[in-house]
Amino acid sequence: MHETGIAMEIYAISRRTADANGGGRLSAVKVIVGELSAIEPDLLAFAWEAVTAGGADAAARIDVEWRAARQICAGCGEIAERASGTWLRLCPRCGGALRIEGGDELDVRDVTFEDAGESRS
Amino acid sequence: MTQIDVKQKVLAANMEAAAGLRTGFAASRTLVVNLISSPGSGKTTFLERTIADLNGRLKLGAIEGDIATDRDAERLRRHGIPARQILTGGACHLDARQVRQALEDEKGALSGLDILFIENVGNLICPTSYDLGEDFKVVLLSVTEGDDKPFKYPGIFSKATVAVLTKMDLLPHVDFDLAAVRRQIATLSPTGRLLETSAKTGAGMESWCALLEGEHSKKRGGR
Repeated sequence: MHETGIAMEIYAISRRTADANGGGRLSAVKVIVGELSAIEPDLLAFAWEAVTAGGADAAARIDVEWRAARQICAGCGEIAERASGTWLRLCPRCGGALRIEGGDELDVRDVTFEDAGESRS
Repeated sequence: MTQIDVKQKVLAANMEAAAGLRTGFAASRTLVVNLISSPGSGKTTFLERTIADLNGRLKLGAIEGDIATDRDAERLRRHGIPARQILTGGACHLDARQVRQALEDEKGALSGLDILFIENVGNLICPTSYDLGEDFKVVLLSVTEGDDKPFKYPGIFSKATVAVLTKMDLLPHVDFDLAAVRRQIATLSPTGRLLETSAKTGAGMESWCALLEGEHSKKRGGR
């Protein structure tokens, strides 16, 4: 459970981005979370609320875009049959070995903020 | 309203600190191994046995991560190697800045090593995300923990290049489907190594020490 630390990093990056662009209050941040990143989206949203609570950016939303890891067969390509959270041992078509690609994303995709003039409360 | 594309790693600050550590370890040609497992899988016992079996052939040191107590560092110091305890005070993982601080605080006692072991906080989830400047991650799983763990914790089992089964001497006493675990690990880490060990009997320790010595000589030769 390190979502709080992650939320703090996301907040620091978002705030820095808004400040560098002369922005005011944050309205939304979009993050990409991969299946293998060891981050639970609901816990991250909860941690984000806790991190932003009581400050000027308390109303800012966090949007999580989930990315599944992909299992790839050297011969047959991506295996569409794989359900999220389960793993196939061998390719269902040719019985060949599979490798895993992606799913380790943990990125801030973009940040939306009010322009300085809008922020006066 | 303005939207700015950021496309930045959330852990960019940690990655930068880890890159700095990696540069330092490359210059001193220190092989760095990040050991990750659940609590009680036998990381410290495994390291104690490793120190004994390497028998002074390499200059070793360790950084121990725990929420509380410096018991693990103390255990390793008794085997004659420098060891620094990092107390995370509740945090579930080590990050690169803590490792940098620990190296600075030791003022040279942990420099010029052949191998630095970093024993992470006991946890199969959070330490996965934090690069510590290591050469590779090792995940340890004891046979008493259950044979479904690799698929339950795919993050660490796919990122670790070496998986170590520990407490193999207990295998006859537990329901642990060894073949299933071998298959799960091969699925998640097709190019990784799997070692089956017992710190108690010494089984498998020879392969582990040979792996360490091989990786260390690669690092020494490299540049």
